Amino acid sequence: MEPTTAVPISKSKPQTQRSGKYKRYTWGLLFLLPAIVTFTLFLWLPIIKGVLNSFYIVDFVKGNTFVGLDNYKTIFSDANVLTSAQNTLYYMGLALVIGFWVPILFALAISEMRRFQGFARVAAYLPYVVPFVVLYGVWRWLYDPVGPINALLKSIGFGQVNFMVDPNWSMASIVIMETWQSFGSAMLIYLAAILAVPRDWYEAAEIDGAGIWQRIRFITMPAIRNQIVLLLMLQLIATSQGFQTQYAMLDGGPNNATLTYALLIVRYAFVRQDYGVASALGVLMFFALSILAIVQYRINNKGGVKS
Amino acid sequence: MKANERSILSNYDLKKPSTKFFYYVMNLLVVVMMCCMVYPIVISMLNGLKANTEVNSFPPTFFPKEWHFENYIKAWNYIDLPMFFKNTMFIFLGNMVVTVLVLGLAAYALSKMQVPFKSAIYYYFLATLFIPATTYMIPNFINLKDLGLMGSFAAIWLPAGANAFFLLLLKTFIDGIHVEIFESARIDGASELRGFFQIAFPLSIPIFATLAIFVFSTAWNDWFWPSFILSQENKPLSAAIRDFVLNARRLDLNIKFAILTIVMIPPIFIFLIFQKYILRGLYLGGVKG
Repeated sequence: MEPTTAVPISKSKPQTQRSGKYKRYTWGLLFLLPAIVTFTLFLWLPIIKGVLNSFYIVDFVKGNTFVGLDNYKTIFSDANVLTSAQNTLYYMGLALVIGFWVPILFALAISEMRRFQGFARVAAYLPYVVPFVVLYGVWRWLYDPVGPINALLKSIGFGQVNFMVDPNWSMASIVIMETWQSFGSAMLIYLAAILAVPRDWYEAAEIDGAGIWQRIRFITMPAIRNQIVLLLMLQLIATSQGFQTQYAMLDGGPNNATLTYALLIVRYAFVRQDYGVASALGVLMFFALSILAIVQYRINNKGGVKS
Repeated sequence: MKANERSILSNYDLKKPSTKFFYYVMNLLVVVMMCCMVYPIVISMLNGLKANTEVNSFPPTFFPKEWHFENYIKAWNYIDLPMFFKNTMFIFLGNMVVTVLVLGLAAYALSKMQVPFKSAIYYYFLATLFIPATTYMIPNFINLKDLGLMGSFAAIWLPAGANAFFLLLLKTFIDGIHVEIFESARIDGASELRGFFQIAFPLSIPIFATLAIFVFSTAWNDWFWPSFILSQENKPLSAAIRDFVLNARRLDLNIKFAILTIVMIPPIFIFLIFQKYILRGLYLGGVKG
């Protein structure tokens, strides 16, 4: 009874192995098919359409009209494009200056705590789980001229700051809010890396006479170097495309002080219904950002952060 | 345990007065940070309990002078919160099913099955990671309109199956499962579908749980995209809050805070219960970038 199934297959080897192989291929291809369809329809198709649409006036009712490079000419004659590009760079820079070092500092501080580490960790991450829309509502009130932050400033003797309305403050206010909201997740990554450093290294360094700063400089910092580079890249990629907070809190105002490049795309599309120009702006943005992406890929592969 | 109880600072360091002072300043800094993190969350709960005149007074008070619990009842009835909550859960569940079926099967096939042009297909998926989503955001909108999906849940569900980052995480995880398990299953006559659903899927529960956290937080947080592509009655909670609460002109501030509190309580609650697993899962996803 037992050998009957095995024997015929091995006898007619050449043919069944081929068809068997194709059969195996069919299952594999069948498993891949849904993903190939979704990636084609929802990623590659829009990407190609974006490039094509940048040469057309997109009209949902009358159909598209080819206009050549007119959309790009519109972009280069629009003063807001330059403003928005500057604002985006300003936003990226502010996010680095105000926000980037915060998670590193607190990861170091929390890793040193002898007690209540868990509490600090949970508290730092807590705002990250609150929906963004809720935070927008709460922070509008916190930043209000008669809100708690101004009350605090007044009680320690500073003047009133119009966080939202003052063009000098509005972008910084947004960066402060976003740092508050999201530094916890970056901090956890640093913290895990710091806690993974073997304790005896510090012991050995201390016996050899290394001070506290030297221990941080020569043991801890090299240990989290990969994470710093990775998160720096992720932050730059995220902030270069940032627009949601600016849109929800201030709608690009006051006087276009928080109009980022991505927000300008949204404005062209959904306010002016000019989808062709919006697509062209997207194409230009792709070329600017791909430089960043290439740099990230290089560093990622060199640093050994990838799986 | 005791021997390891040191970090960058040793117990010996802490005996020095200057270091000790520095250590306490540092701890104080962490405590201040914790207060800053918790204050806006607590104050919005308390603001929801105050009278409207008290919320608008300067300087702001911390605890309410009189407790108005009926604010929360008014807040609950202001918009149809259960319906929008149901929509959010719908989006989450649908996205999760698509993630498992589309991305799970694809990752399994790429990792453990024989497929022609495997690496070409793999790069076809991964190459999308290098094109920032914002650059084709508007074409994506037009594309969904062309496909006739605009307004329905399918416009959110189906694109969830086109996530190269999740695919990468899944494939990396399934790569770590020994291939012998699947080979012996095949020899025992299990079909490929069984190989996935009864072996690969149960063994990959940790990574699917991590993805579930990501998918949940996206479904719960995302307001911009859904507010443009979903119809009025299909909007998730966060899009509805933005449209009807944040941008409302004639809504009392205390009721507004009560609504915001109702919306932030469930995720905070879930987070505090599962924080151990969530923080671990995020680390797993985070290192891979």
